[in-house]
Amino acid sequence: MPQTTIYASPRSVGAPEQLPPGVATKELARLFGGNPALAGVTLTIPAGRCVQLTGPNGAGKTTLLRILATAIRPSFGSAAVDGLDVAAHPELVRSRVAYLSHATGLYNDLTAHENLAFAATMLGLEPGTSGEAVRGVVDEIGLADVANARVGGFSAGMRRRLALGRVMLARPSLVLLDEPFAALDADGIALMERLLDRWRRSGVTTLVASHSSEHIAARADATVQLDAGVVASVTGEGVTSRPPAPERTAPPAAEVAT
Amino acid sequence: MTTLRRTATVAWAIARKDAIAELRGKQAAISTLTFGAVTLLLFGFALGPDPHRLADAAPGLLWLDLVFAGLLAVGRFHELETEDGALEQLTLYPMDRRSIYAGKAAIGALAMLALGALLVPLVAILYAVDVVHALPVLALTVVLGSIGFAAVGTFYAGVTVRLRAREVMLPLLVLPIVAPLLLAAVKATTAALAGDPLGELPAWLELLAGFDVVMLIAGAGTYGFLLEE
Repeated sequence: MPQTTIYASPRSVGAPEQLPPGVATKELARLFGGNPALAGVTLTIPAGRCVQLTGPNGAGKTTLLRILATAIRPSFGSAAVDGLDVAAHPELVRSRVAYLSHATGLYNDLTAHENLAFAATMLGLEPGTSGEAVRGVVDEIGLADVANARVGGFSAGMRRRLALGRVMLARPSLVLLDEPFAALDADGIALMERLLDRWRRSGVTTLVASHSSEHIAARADATVQLDAGVVASVTGEGVTSRPPAPERTAPPAAEVAT
Repeated sequence: MTTLRRTATVAWAIARKDAIAELRGKQAAISTLTFGAVTLLLFGFALGPDPHRLADAAPGLLWLDLVFAGLLAVGRFHELETEDGALEQLTLYPMDRRSIYAGKAAIGALAMLALGALLVPLVAILYAVDVVHALPVLALTVVLGSIGFAAVGTFYAGVTVRLRAREVMLPLLVLPIVAPLLLAAVKATTAALAGDPLGELPAWLELLAGFDVVMLIAGAGTYGFLLEE
């Protein structure tokens, strides 16, 4: 039986050099109906880094985030969060990961407060402290005035803020954000930027999939570009890809002509 | 927080959340109540004024309504999770997935019991059945039957929740499995209303309780795997 080493949270013990990487994937691949969404991604992201994930539609950004969040399993290869394999220890990984996906995962017939209170219970917050935590989050995401209104009547931006509030209730060591700035207004974008700064200060690894680098570029330690399910390039410090991502070169003339 | 307490807390939160959503939306409740009342009225007219015929038909009609309510309830409580990626979010919380099964089965059984509490008096009035003398045994039968049906229905609602044709598939999968449960429930109800002249009631109730235990264990043990994508 293979021996498994379970590491503590990067925020709890140990010097940085002793810690496992926040995210480590090895030849990670995922097929959907025989088509590869990821086709062999080997990446190492040190704990506590903020990394932007870019690439065109269908590059595999969301698939990578969903595997790390344990929403789907890899078809081949492996992925680990804080040294924990996502396929072998999904329950342990879930307690360390917070994921903001395209879908908000909210219940339309519940109020904003009820949605967050439900999430607090699911996340294991103690009943004595969860009420205060929920109220604090509702205030911070700017929905205190509509906390008792049903979510079914919310705009896309308000729903996005509420989903972000659910991420804030968690105590993760890895935050996965899929197009986090989508549908947000100026206040929402400012909130998102504050949260990115806060996670960075507290040593939380953050992986942000975003087409636009407008809001994230100044905060990202590195940028990983995916294309057709593989790593096309890595820029910035700390993040490694093996085999190294190829140098970006101009496409052949014939390809340009087509 | 101990594992058992955590499981119970999560299950209660899921059941409570589903109850709130359904009480506000009233989508399944209205159709179930309407179907139940109309079925009992129509069969009452069709069977005529003969009290013996009405009394003979009452247990079967009561369970027909409860089965319909149960199918709608377990399907509806899973349909809530299809709103805007809620099911995926639910599966990503750090918890034992048996809690989800426990919460969904509990609220499914409670929905059937709530309808049973409304329909039993209606049956007593429309079908001229004396339910008062049999009330404790009748209540026990409805409780055991509802738990067993919800145990099976919740499992198959988990099987079909990601299917487009889930409303069609759910009854097709559930009804063959619950056939022994329904047989025992109707027989126990008939015996209870008749005063159990043949002394068969304990055997039917034991069958119901045994079915419940087996299905709850099987459902809780396997439901989590259904939620894998």
